[in-house]
Amino acid sequence: MSGSQTSLREANRASIIDAVKRHGGLTQVELAGATGLSAATVSTIIKELLGAGVVDTRTTIRSGRRAQLVTLARRTGLAVGIHVGHRSMRVALAGFAHEIVADQVLPLPSEHRADTSLDRAALLIVELLDRVGSSIDEVVGIGIGLPAPVDAATGAVSVRGILRGWDDVPVAQVMSKRLARPVFVDNDANLGALAESTAGASREYRDSVYVRASVGTGAGIVVNGQVFRGFAGTAGEIGHVQVDPQGDICRCGSRGCLDTVVGARAIVEPLRGTHGSLTLRDVVQRALDGDPGCARVIADAGATIGTVVAGLATAVNPQCVVVGGDLAETGEILIGPMRDAIHRRVLLNQIAPLEVVPAELGQSAEVQGALSMVLQATEFDVRLDEPDDDPHDEPPVEATHAG
Amino acid sequence: MPVEAVRDETIGVPDGEQARQTMTTTTTRTPLLAMRQICKRFNAVEALVDVDFEVYAHEVVALVGDNGAGKSTLAKVISGVLQPDSGLIEMEGETVAIPSPSAAHDLGVATVFQDLALCDNLDVTANLFLGREMTGRALLADAQMEDAAKKILRDLSSRIPSVRTQLRDLSAGQRQSVAIARTLIGSPRIVVLDEPTASLSVAQTAEVLTHIQGLRDLGLGVVLISHNMNDVRAVSDRIEVLRHGRNNGSFDASSASYEAILAAITGATHQGYRSVPRFA
Repeated sequence: MSGSQTSLREANRASIIDAVKRHGGLTQVELAGATGLSAATVSTIIKELLGAGVVDTRTTIRSGRRAQLVTLARRTGLAVGIHVGHRSMRVALAGFAHEIVADQVLPLPSEHRADTSLDRAALLIVELLDRVGSSIDEVVGIGIGLPAPVDAATGAVSVRGILRGWDDVPVAQVMSKRLARPVFVDNDANLGALAESTAGASREYRDSVYVRASVGTGAGIVVNGQVFRGFAGTAGEIGHVQVDPQGDICRCGSRGCLDTVVGARAIVEPLRGTHGSLTLRDVVQRALDGDPGCARVIADAGATIGTVVAGLATAVNPQCVVVGGDLAETGEILIGPMRDAIHRRVLLNQIAPLEVVPAELGQSAEVQGALSMVLQATEFDVRLDEPDDDPHDEPPVEATHAG
Repeated sequence: MPVEAVRDETIGVPDGEQARQTMTTTTTRTPLLAMRQICKRFNAVEALVDVDFEVYAHEVVALVGDNGAGKSTLAKVISGVLQPDSGLIEMEGETVAIPSPSAAHDLGVATVFQDLALCDNLDVTANLFLGREMTGRALLADAQMEDAAKKILRDLSSRIPSVRTQLRDLSAGQRQSVAIARTLIGSPRIVVLDEPTASLSVAQTAEVLTHIQGLRDLGLGVVLISHNMNDVRAVSDRIEVLRHGRNNGSFDASSASYEAILAAITGATHQGYRSVPRFA
């Protein structure tokens, strides 16, 4: 009887640590909400964990009241998040409270290659660690987001041609060999979805879709609070849904993919005659400054992406669509037409109308998702020394299992 | 002199608005800087032979080539250190002469040479305003200079913690960003950077490349001289190749392959000037 009591307490501890890990920092009241435990249980367990040095608490204000914010103690290590984009790479370090302690963006050439870019990423990590007075020994893991579908088993790009220069490169293996740390690789839209659904715009919802509109377009699907990747990691690759049967050939090999209609080239090209040679960043900036031509191109892209997202939303039935990526920085210029297109096509149920909202984490969503991936994957020893416990309370089998 | 006026003039986010208008209204816009048929000889050495070179506002142009291809010579002609033997230099359509570095500065050309030319024993602010100190009532306007320095460094999203740090205490990357920030004093239209990422670590390179994008976003024309093909292709809009003092190809940085550029640098391909758009 008392044995099951102990294992119950251990399970409760695990679920509290899990919740803190997921969100970075939660108040005790929020923890009770997140775990379904009573406020008294949460309070007792937090006291134990605090005594054992697993968590830290500090006073904060929630809805105008003083509250105890619970975070994981920093001594437990650092996580590294890397977001490799088509034209830049972002590397960030964070503690277990998800607080980013160092962050650096490195512009990359178009069609950069895996060997050079991973090399530079590794050097950048070591330098950033140095900047915060830490070393590689403190790193618990490295999360990498790539703008292509990723096979979770090997950490390699699972569809050839989508990310040129990265085909057949076992990214996780290359990186872990170099830095001798666990490496996790995922698609960047999936990581954006993970970050937004735990700490961003869709944290209130169980089922959501994160759309990333940038140089390429992708989506991350969250079902029941978990990112759904599909068997080979290609779930949510909306950039390769056909929208124009007579269109151009895409780099994936098929014709008229969404990416050929709303990708960076398709955004920049129609403006060349009137605006000269622009980059995607220029178009976004000009649209924000009120240039009607640039705004029009982005609005049209929003409408086209919306039609594809509507199809995805019909299949998944999310409560919320979160829009991120470079193009989303134009706000309603992109999202307005996208919302209209989605609402025109999707089955609008009466229970919960589908919301289409901008990402809250902005450009750092993907790298935060990479950090969350590492922190969630890192194992914690949740068992504490409890001198008052009877030693033969626990069956030995369970003890070895838990240890 | 009223402080406000000084500040505006000094920081002078230089005619970004104007540049933007030029960009939106027409494709046949005038280049900020156009150099036509520039020749320069040092005795028997032909450093530059009939070189054409253009820089537009809101554009990063990379100048690449092997050692001795004439990159630095061209940069020195732009910044008034060397005078061309023949050829024409136009700034925004008007023919100009650049007889000295101070003349270049007056025309809005700011240059960062490889040796940076900073003073180790002075702090960041003093280095930024070196030779162009602001004065108020016969004394140095330290507070204003410090505010202006902070603003410039913030505009470049620089990581230098304090503008009172002495230069000798800064890392190589931070010194480079001070040198780049220094070019922004006095409203330049064109910034010339000679090997800004040489001997920098990856994190420092990342910062300098981000600064270069920042200069472009401010509407400036940037001339980037570098050996590093990664850095060049990461931030530039156009890549001009020099070989033995002659133009050997012009590439659109977003579509040109590494191999094509290398081939032009090494002479594996001999391209007439502007060979790329002919296919279009």
